[in-house]
This record gives sequence, structure tokens and C-alpha cells, in this order.
Amino acid sequence: MTTHEIQEFLAPIRHEFAEERSLVLPALRFAQEEQGWLPTDAMRAVAEATGLSQAYVESVASFYDRLYTEPQGSRVISVCTTLSCMLRGSDELLAHIGNRLGTGGVGTTDDGQFTVQRAECLGACDRAPCLQVDSGDQLGPLTHEAADEIIAQLRADGVPTRYDR
Amino acid sequence: MPILNSVYRHREFQHLGTLTGYERAGGWNGMKAALGMAPDDVLYAFHRSGLRGRGGAGFPMGRKASFLPKDTGMATYVVCNADESEPGTFKDREIIEKNPFQLIEGVAIASYAVGCKRAYIYIRGEYGHQAVILAQAIADCRAAGRLGPNAFGQGKPFDITLYRGAGAYICGEETAMLESLEGKRGQPRLKPPFPAVAGLYGSPTLINNVETLAALPPIMHRGADWYAALGPEKSPGTKIFSVSGHVLNPGNYEIIMGDTTLRELIFDMAGGLREGRELKACWPGGSSVPVLTKDHLDVPLDYESLAGVGTFLGSGGCIVMDDSGCIVRASWRLAHFYRHESCGKCTPCREGTGWLEKILERMVHGEGRMDDLDMLESLFGRIADRVLCALADGAVAPIKSALEYFRDDFVKVIEDRGSPVPEPMGVTNG
Repeated sequence: MTTHEIQEFLAPIRHEFAEERSLVLPALRFAQEEQGWLPTDAMRAVAEATGLSQAYVESVASFYDRLYTEPQGSRVISVCTTLSCMLRGSDELLAHIGNRLGTGGVGTTDDGQFTVQRAECLGACDRAPCLQVDSGDQLGPLTHEAADEIIAQLRADGVPTRYDR
Repeated sequence: MPILNSVYRHREFQHLGTLTGYERAGGWNGMKAALGMAPDDVLYAFHRSGLRGRGGAGFPMGRKASFLPKDTGMATYVVCNADESEPGTFKDREIIEKNPFQLIEGVAIASYAVGCKRAYIYIRGEYGHQAVILAQAIADCRAAGRLGPNAFGQGKPFDITLYRGAGAYICGEETAMLESLEGKRGQPRLKPPFPAVAGLYGSPTLINNVETLAALPPIMHRGADWYAALGPEKSPGTKIFSVSGHVLNPGNYEIIMGDTTLRELIFDMAGGLREGRELKACWPGGSSVPVLTKDHLDVPLDYESLAGVGTFLGSGGCIVMDDSGCIVRASWRLAHFYRHESCGKCTPCREGTGWLEKILERMVHGEGRMDDLDMLESLFGRIADRVLCALADGAVAPIKSALEYFRDDFVKVIEDRGSPVPEPMGVTNG
């Protein structure tokens, strides 16, 4: 992601904010769309596009769970394990997915296709136990078989062209 | 049953998800009524309706709006809190997914009342699917002239910016939300000044929850008196409860405040528990409130009645656990949540939530000691009330109350060297 591309993305929304600094989150989200995480080059490009220091941009990015400062799998599977989901079997679901993918729980598969992570309440306790692929719709309530089908579908879909996490 | 779908009008009318469908079902009648009144009279209507903030704190909405100073020479902002992250709460998600135009109309009405030309809807980062729906609804309103240069009449502009968070529970705290919206780490501010006086970019700012704002169109259309007459005098109106956990029909239920008991909500509306199970514990207002037991089932659901039994209505996220659950394990899971979501700014919260998690974790895993209970109790008072925001109080409340009501269970878990509910095999930590 180049500085120029980020600037072009920001140009039409710049007027919506009284202070330029508000553009840093939209810029980071946009920069993350390319590789699904924020390598140093992407942080530098965001800094240049927003006129902020790279250190500042990195300090903001490191605060938020869904801005990734380390490489992630092609698809990030977030399994909600907060109380309502726990009561309906989320820990067993996470264990099942981890065993199925060989991550043994949270982690990234050796082929880089999947990252499995715990999520804090995804706001879908009526679908518990639930998971979310990247920032897609919350899926549930899930049996272990339904989770297998989701994984199979994701394998068939292949690598996404843009990442919305 | 005393269900009244005033915010959840999509449950009464089809096609509210499209602008034409919304208009056909009486959409924008509230806005029309508001535009026919002076802004101050609209503010007064908020006040008379008795509507209280639905995000958790329950502060009277009209009073909050009246705190905004006028003629400051600065812009005035409305920020809609769509950072729905309180465990057990999923009511705003349904509003955004199924009835987004009523939310937009509500934001517009509030903005007209306080003289705001640009409002922001701050939506949590994880609600990517919901953000797409809301962005489309906003675009449709712009195309139809409901938002834009002449939204409030010829030459009277108003527009809404949808701002996506990036994963942080703390951004539901209103000053942390403002920090995030200003492009900073989402950490709460010292108050005062309150956002009404110095909020977004230092300007007067009204911050309200999705459900609060979506309640405004019917209030303006049907009248503040109609709303104020629903339910008890101090807690009028409808409230959406999200019921989850060990119930047969988890879901959202919009009820008239005070007309329904906790028992009716859990057992009649949400289908009750599985055969042969009994209620063990219930967190009635999201996870940040003191827990209730089966002895509290007959409490009416309104702010005062719930406060009367020592808890809070909160966000209305009602988490139910039957007697197959372990209160120590549940408390540990909540402690983990608050430790993970503590922003780290205040030492008592940053360190204290870590200790709560650590102590409960060793109890669950069979390494608890009897004096851990004293240590927990000594921690409560050192964490709560010594910090900038309510997160720490929210971390303490469910655990402190659990220890009060279920002390025997904690003792048993320590004596038996572990929780009676086993851990699934093969899960690595993270």
C-alpha cells in the first residue's frame, strides 16, 4: 500500500473531520485491507498520508485488537469465548476447530491459511456458540459439523483479494 | 405479554430495511414533527418523555442533552454509540441490521434539537457486516435528500459519518470513544469536563446509545406524553432485553418497563431452561452488574426495581446460567474479559483485573487456597472507585456479588481442587 493510495482513499472523507488525526483509524483499516495485517511499510505509508509520526501511528495500531501488527492467516477465525458462548459450548468448539486445523487451539496453521483466535463477546449471544470469519457476519449457533463445513467452504473460496478485519 | 415493538418496529412491519419500505410504514413522521417545532421544544419533549440512556448508565436523555451550552461559537456534535460490546448484549445489532433507518432518523432528530450539522455513528470494529448495512442506509438517505445540504430544510445541512472502531471494549466508554474518534488510543479521559461541555474536538457533544436514539422517532411522532405514560414514572418507555446463555430461546425482547418480571422474561419469553434444570445465576444487565439468584426472579424489570435488589438494569443483556454451570468458572471467564479489555491507563484496574483473573484461574484449576477468598475481597475495594471510568467497577461487581451469594461454591472448588465443570481437552491458552 503506497502513501499515494492511502491519500486517494482519504481525500473524499477528509472534510468530514475537524481534525486530520481522525483519519488515522480509517487509514489503518484501509492499509490493512491489502495484506490482512500492518507491516512496517504500511505503517510508514499511513504516517506519511496523515502527517503523523510513524511512532504515533504504531502506538494507535497496537491498541486495537483488530489491527494486526503481526502476520495473520489468510482467514482469521474468531471464536467467541465470553460467558454466554462459554455456557453453550464455545470452549469445546474452539478445541474442535483447533484440532481440525492442527493449531491445537489458538494459532496460525503451518500453511498460513488460517489463524484461529479467541474473541471477546461478538454481540451475537443469541447465536452462541458463534464465530466470525474476519469481520463477517457472526455465524451460529454452531455444531462441530457446521464449523467443519465453514472451514471447508473457506478452503474452497481460497485467498481473499481484500481483507476486512 | 407486555411486548411493545416501538424500537423493533421491523417485527411489526415488513421491508423496514429499505428506505421506501421505511417511509411507507410511517418513517420520518418523527422527524417531520420535530422539524415543525423549535429545537428547544424538541429538547423539552425528550425531557418530558422520561427516556433514559439505554447504553448502561440510565442517565435521563433530555437532561444530558440540555447540558450542552449554546452559542459557544463552536460546532456541536452528536455521537451515536454503536460500540455494543457489553457481554450478553446484542440489541443494537438487531436495530442496525433490521431497522437502520429508525436509528438514522433518531440521530437526525437529536442533532436537530442540539444544533448539530454532522453526527458520527461509532460502530465497533467487529460489526463489519452491520457496518455495510448501515453505510448503505446512510447512502440511501443521502441520495433521497434525507441527509445532505437540505436535510433540515432549504439550506440547512445535516449529515452522518459512520466511523468504524477496530476492536476495543473500552471504546464503549464515552470519553474513550471520543479519543478513538479523534484518532488516538481509546483511553478514557478525566472528567469533568464532561463531553456535553468539552467533547469531540473540545466541542459540546451529545453521546447516546443506538437504542436511545432509535427510541426518539416514535416519541416525536406519538408524543412525549405517550412515552412517559408507559411503565413506571421514573423508568418509562420500552427496553430491549437480550437474553442469552442457558435458555431455550435466546433472543431480544422489547418490553414495557416495569410490566414484566425477570421470571417472565426468562421463563415465558425466552423459553425457560432445559428439562430438569434450575436457575443458578443471572446477570440481568450485561456482565458488569451484580449477579442475581433464583431468589430474585420476581423483580420487575425497570431501573428502580433492579437497583432495589442490588443490581443494575445496565444494557439489558440478561445472561442466564442454570445449575449445570459453575459460578467460579463463570467468574473467572468474566475476570479474563475485563483483564483483556482494561486499557491500562489506571493502575488499580490494569493490575487489579490481572490479579482477579489469576486468582480465579488457579481456583478453577485446583490450585486455589482458602486465603485466596480474603485476597479477592481485599482487592475489590482497591480496584473499584479508584479509576477514571466504570470498567473496573464492572469487573468487580459480578465477582464480588458471586462471592457474596455463592461463597459455599467457591469454598468447595478450593477444597475439591478444581471446578466441577471440566475443561475441554486440547485447548491451548491465548
